[in-house]
Amino acid sequence: MHTNIPHLRKLAALAALLAITATASQRSLAQNIDLSTVPSRDSVQLTIYNSEDITLVRETRVISFKKGLNPLQFSWANTLIDPSSVELTILQPADKLELLDTTFPHDKPQMLYWNVQSEFDGEATVQITYFTSGITWSADYVAIADGDEATLDLEGFVRITNNSGEEYENAQVRLVVGTINLVEKIAQLAQIPASEVSEMEDLARRELKSQATREFFAKADKLAYDAATPTLAGMGGGELAEAKQIVKEGLSEYFIYTVEGTETIPNGWSKRLHSFEANDAPLKIEYRYRPREYGDQLVRMYLLANDEESHLGTTPLPDGVVRVFRNNGRDGLSYLAQQTVKYIPIGDKIELNLGVDPEVVFELVKKGVSREKIWTQIHNTNTFKLVGDDARREEENASVVGWADRTEYEQRIRNYTAKPIDVEIRRTYDGHIAFISGLEPKLHDYQTVELKTQVKPGEKETLDFTIVQQQGTNVKQNNVTLEAASKL
Amino acid sequence: MAIRRMLLSRKLLAATLLGVLAGSPEAAWARVKLITLPVRERVEIQLDNEQATLVEEERIVPLVKGENQIDFSWANTQIDPGTIVFRVVEGDDAPEVKVLSVSYPPNESALVWSVSASEAGAARVRISYLLGNLTKSFNYRAVASNDERTLDLSQFMRLKNLANEEFAGASLWAGFGPNFSQPVGLNETKELLVERFKAVPIEKTYTCNPQEYEYLDRAQNKLRVPMHYVIKNDAEHGLGKAALPFGKVRIFIAGGGDDPQAGTAFLGEDWGKFTPRDDEMRLYLGVAQDVVVKRTIEKNETRRVSGNLYDQELIVKFEVENFKKQPVRLDVIENLRHLRNEVRGDNGRDVKWELGKETTFADGPDEERSNAEQLVFHAELPAAGKDGKAEKQALKLHITLKNEW
Repeated sequence: MHTNIPHLRKLAALAALLAITATASQRSLAQNIDLSTVPSRDSVQLTIYNSEDITLVRETRVISFKKGLNPLQFSWANTLIDPSSVELTILQPADKLELLDTTFPHDKPQMLYWNVQSEFDGEATVQITYFTSGITWSADYVAIADGDEATLDLEGFVRITNNSGEEYENAQVRLVVGTINLVEKIAQLAQIPASEVSEMEDLARRELKSQATREFFAKADKLAYDAATPTLAGMGGGELAEAKQIVKEGLSEYFIYTVEGTETIPNGWSKRLHSFEANDAPLKIEYRYRPREYGDQLVRMYLLANDEESHLGTTPLPDGVVRVFRNNGRDGLSYLAQQTVKYIPIGDKIELNLGVDPEVVFELVKKGVSREKIWTQIHNTNTFKLVGDDARREEENASVVGWADRTEYEQRIRNYTAKPIDVEIRRTYDGHIAFISGLEPKLHDYQTVELKTQVKPGEKETLDFTIVQQQGTNVKQNNVTLEAASKL
Repeated sequence: MAIRRMLLSRKLLAATLLGVLAGSPEAAWARVKLITLPVRERVEIQLDNEQATLVEEERIVPLVKGENQIDFSWANTQIDPGTIVFRVVEGDDAPEVKVLSVSYPPNESALVWSVSASEAGAARVRISYLLGNLTKSFNYRAVASNDERTLDLSQFMRLKNLANEEFAGASLWAGFGPNFSQPVGLNETKELLVERFKAVPIEKTYTCNPQEYEYLDRAQNKLRVPMHYVIKNDAEHGLGKAALPFGKVRIFIAGGGDDPQAGTAFLGEDWGKFTPRDDEMRLYLGVAQDVVVKRTIEKNETRRVSGNLYDQELIVKFEVENFKKQPVRLDVIENLRHLRNEVRGDNGRDVKWELGKETTFADGPDEERSNAEQLVFHAELPAAGKDGKAEKQALKLHITLKNEW
C-alpha cells in the first residue's frame, strides 16, 4: 500500500504496545528482568468524532498462544488513551481462547495485563479497542464564484489532526458527522439528573462517556464496516492518481465518511483530504437587511442549496469554515469573505454572507414624528380622558398615561453596481405596532416586517413607511399589524 | 536562479519557499534532502478587500510522472494557512495534475501538497493566500485654487509592507483605479498615486449647529462657526466613478500672485469619511472667526393642553454678522431634540414640533437636508462695508414643541 503522507517516525512514542511476556503463569510484578515478544499491528481503524474529542481505535494483531495461561501486557506510554476503555476481544478462534482477567498494576501507569487461557498451541487473531483523545477532524470549504457571479464552484475538504501521541500507520479512517448527545446518555447510565452530570467526578464522567460512546459506535460499526471495505486507488508507479474518494454513508441521525484506502498521519501532523466538489452550482445574489442576524447593515449574500440542482446534495455539509473567492477576470482571485457554517442537511440552503457592498448605499431617514391618541388620567380616580385637538381641557390634576407615537420613515437604497439587485429588508419591532405602507410588506413573524424590492443598476429607490407605536395604557398587544397606506 | 533564490531566502530568513521534493515521500523527510526551488513567475497583490490582502503567485514547478511532494513554507510571515488555495494553470503542453492531499507538519509554518502528474514536465501553479501585515490605506492631497472655487484632488494609496516578505515586480490592485506594477521591498511603505482629479468644484460652507459644534463663547452666546470645503462625489463635480475611501485629506491653497505654486500654503487637514457616489465629503478646515453668530432663546412660553401635557412655544434668535470682505452663505442648523432638551430636559421621547409664522429665514428649511429631528436653513450674509462694519441680521426660528410632558 502506498501512502502519500511523508513519513516521520518518532521512536520515542512507540506506544500502544502489546507484549507477550515470557514468564509462565502467576507472573510476579516485582520482577525486573523480563523477556517479551512484540506482535505488530495487523490492521488499525480509526473512527473520529468531530463534536467531542474522542476517537475509537480498533486494531487487530496476530498472536501465537501456547496451551495454558498466556499473560499479555498492553501499554500506552505518552498517549492519550482512556485506560477504562481498553478491551480485548478474541476474534479467531474465539472458542479456544478465554480472557480470564485484567489487571492494572498500581506502580505502572499506562499499562495493563491480561491473562488469556488457551486450549491450543498456535496463532490467534485478537482485536483491541480503546478510546483516545487528541485525534480530531474538521471540515472546510473553498467557494470560488465565476467572474459574473452566476455560478460557483464549491469544494469540500476534511482535515484530520493527530495529536494523540501515537502514529497509527496505514489506518483506515472513518469520520463521524453529527452530534451525539453524550450528556443525556451519561445521565441515563448513571441514573442521575442531567444537570448533575457536570458535577460528577472527572474520572467517573469519563468512564460513563466512554460507555455511551461505545454503545453508539457499536451501532455505527455494523453499517459502516461493510461500507468501509477499501477500494484501493491504483497508485502503481507513475500513473496519474486520483485524489482519494471519501465514501459517505447515512447512519441513523449521523453520517459516516470513510476515507478510501488507508492513511498514516504522524503524531503532530494534520492532513487535509478532498471530500467533494461541485462545479458551476447556480448562484443567486440577494442583499439583506436583518439586524438580528447580520448586524445593522445591508449585506450581500450568495445563496445556493445543498441539492442536486446545485450539483451537490450527496452529503450533508458538516460544520466548518467556508472561504469565498471570486474569479477576478484577470486570471486571479478576489477574496470576498470567510464564514463558519453550521451543519447543512441535504436539500437545505447554503447562505454565504459577503458583508457590506460599498457599491450599494442603504440609509434610513426619519422624516416626521407626531403623537396621537393621548389619554390622561385624572389623579386619584379611574377617570381617563382623550385629549382632543379642539376641546382643550385645563385638567390640572391629570397625567398622560397613554399615547401613540407616529413616525414616518424613508428607506433609501442606491444601486451603483452594474446589475439589478434584489433587496430584502426585515425590521423587528417590540410592542404594539402598526406598520403602515403602500409597499407590499409581509409579516415574517409577529414582530418582524419583511419588505422586498428590486433596484435597477444606477437607480435609487425610496421606500416610505410609517410606524405607529402604542405607548402606556394604549398598549393592548405585543405584535405588529400591517395597514395599507390609504389609512394614513 | 534557483540557487540565488535559496541564498536570498537564507539571508532574509523569511522568504516563502516552494520546493519540489525529489525521490519517494518516505525519503522526503530524512535529514538529507534535495529540493528544487521554483522562482515566482508572477505576483499579484489584491487589495480590494477591506479586511484582508490576498497575494497570488505563479510558479513553474517541475514534476515527475506519478506522485510528487510540493513543499510550501512561510517562516516568519503571517500567512493564514487555511486560506491557501493551490490551483494548476492548464496549458497545452502541461501535464495533467491532480492534488491528492495536503499535509501540515507540526510546529512549522509549512505544508506539503501531494500531487499526481500524468507526465513528467513543468506545471504552472497558482498559489493564493491571505497575508497579514501587508496593509493599505488611502490619503488625499488637495490644492484649492486661490479663489477657493475648485481644488485639485490627488488620491494616494499607501501600501505598508510589514509582512516580512518582499515581492519583486508585483502587480497591485486597489479594487478601483489602475493596476500598478511595482516591486514591494521588505518593511517598505509605498505611496502610489491612484487618481488625480483636476479642478473639482468645491463649496465653501460656514455652519452653526449648537448640538454638534456648541458655543465658542457661552457668555457672549457666540456659536462656533466651522468652515468646510464640501466635495460632491458625482460626475457633475468631476468625480463619481467610485466611492471615495476613508482617508486623511491634507489641504493646501494656491497663492495669489503670478506664481500660484510658489505661494501655496497649508490650510489644514481632516479625515475624509468613506463617501459613496453622489454623497458629500465635508472637510473641516477650522473655525471662522469673522462670521459671528449669537444664539439666544428669545421666547419660551408654556401652554397647558391638559393635565401634565404642554405645548411649548419657542423663538430662537440668531444675530448674525459677517466681517469678511466677501458675502458668505451660512448654514444654520438646529436640532429639535437638542432644543427640547435645552428648555425642558431630556425625557427620551422624540420631538413633535411645528414651524411657526414668526420664522424669518427667507427661503424656509432646506428640504433635502432637513428631517424629523433637524432643521437646516440658509442665510445669505452680505460682505462687510468698506469701513469694516458688518450688517447685523436677526434671524428667527419660531418653533412650537407639541404634546410634551
